Amino acid sequence: MLINPIMLYLVLGLGAVGLCLALPRRGINPQIVGGVIAAVAAGLILLMLGIRTTADAGPGALPNVFFYVFGFIALAAAVRVVTHPRPVYAALYFIMTVLASAGLFLILSAEFMAFALIIVYAGAILITYLFVIMLATQAPAEGQDEVLADYDTSAREPVAAAFVGFVMLAVLTTMMFRGVSQMPPVQDQQARAAGVLAQLPGKIERALDRAGTLEPGWSLAMEPGTERAKVDVERGTVTLVDRFNNQREAPLPAGLEPKNVDELGFNLLAEHPGSIEIAGVILLMAMLGAVVLSRKQVELDEEAKSRHASRLSQSEPSLDREGSGRVPVRGATADGGRGWSGSNGTTAVEPSTGTRSAS
Amino acid sequence: MTWLLAQTSYPDPMSGLTLAHYLFVSGAMFVIGLIGFLTRRNLIIMFLCTELMFQAAGISLIAFSRFHLNMSGQTFVIFVLTVAAAEAAMALALVVLLFRRKESLDAEQWKEMSG
Repeated sequence: MLINPIMLYLVLGLGAVGLCLALPRRGINPQIVGGVIAAVAAGLILLMLGIRTTADAGPGALPNVFFYVFGFIALAAAVRVVTHPRPVYAALYFIMTVLASAGLFLILSAEFMAFALIIVYAGAILITYLFVIMLATQAPAEGQDEVLADYDTSAREPVAAAFVGFVMLAVLTTMMFRGVSQMPPVQDQQARAAGVLAQLPGKIERALDRAGTLEPGWSLAMEPGTERAKVDVERGTVTLVDRFNNQREAPLPAGLEPKNVDELGFNLLAEHPGSIEIAGVILLMAMLGAVVLSRKQVELDEEAKSRHASRLSQSEPSLDREGSGRVPVRGATADGGRGWSGSNGTTAVEPSTGTRSAS
Repeated sequence: MTWLLAQTSYPDPMSGLTLAHYLFVSGAMFVIGLIGFLTRRNLIIMFLCTELMFQAAGISLIAFSRFHLNMSGQTFVIFVLTVAAAEAAMALALVVLLFRRKESLDAEQWKEMSG
């Protein structure tokens, strides 16, 4: 075991209590206290992990500071996503989690995925979330301060959920801390990457050309029957061949080691070509589905209709002031807010009449 | 303990990380997302919590990919991203539809849909 299990369970229980207190609730809300307790628990576990592994790795080995910093930021921001009563702030904290996880990806030498994560998640998905949060939020009635909705300020069964969640985490950590070994050294990865370099003859040829090693008439020798170049990464040489099948060896230019993107691209295209097609189909279906869903006309149900009607009648004086074009609103509220679904043909309160008549 | 740590003479000074470190962060993030999904009642935040769980799965995939020196883990994260994007598009379209119907994002409002 990496950590004493009793200590681990105690700290996990502490984290559960903290998270439970930090969840929003009605009445007295000890969110800050809960947040501090959860943060202390996360910090303690990371500290235990750090002390144990530093002791194991022997003297002179620094712990990887960046892992602890990014890991702590990611977990703290994740807690805040779950506990913040306002959805916009929760989405912004989620961006912070994404950035911290991208940092973890960088430590794990997955550079491409780190940047793809920031671009796709923080740049695209979260912006969609923010748009929807703004579309689907009730504007406060005139003269009123914005109040948080009831479903945002009170969590559902926080104690049971926190208990179940942290029992699950305790089981997971017990399993995962049994028989762990360190990450393999980076050299192993470079040796493995040599296999990828042989499949990049164009890249080698361009580098040789730039270095001036590739004289006219000479070209890269290939392994017979394959598309792989004859490269010896250990000795740093590459075999060249001319028209008369004379072979000679040339030094491999520096800086040719395959990058993370090269390897990822090879793995993606050589080993999972079918999955790319399926991913494309999934994205297409999602796009079509979203378009179909959002074009659908919805009828307000009875409860929402009455609420909407009362809101309209509250704000009516201001609508009257804006001009005579808004007068039909009075009729719309009289028939129970049906103006919202556009059935009486007014354009004053019906934003989607144009698309409906076009369809 | 030495049989656990086969490579004690790891040359990188910024070392001492095991697979379990990353798995712990990933597991904790997953559980936080799970708790959020169970407790929060706002539909949008519930979907944000599923994204949090996707994120946790991605971290553990990348950690395993580094541990086994196998790129397939990273490739799989690309597909996780794809599915997350598709899920976000569909889920958010549904959320907008539900909001237009009940004028509320409360998940409890749709109780009658449970079987």
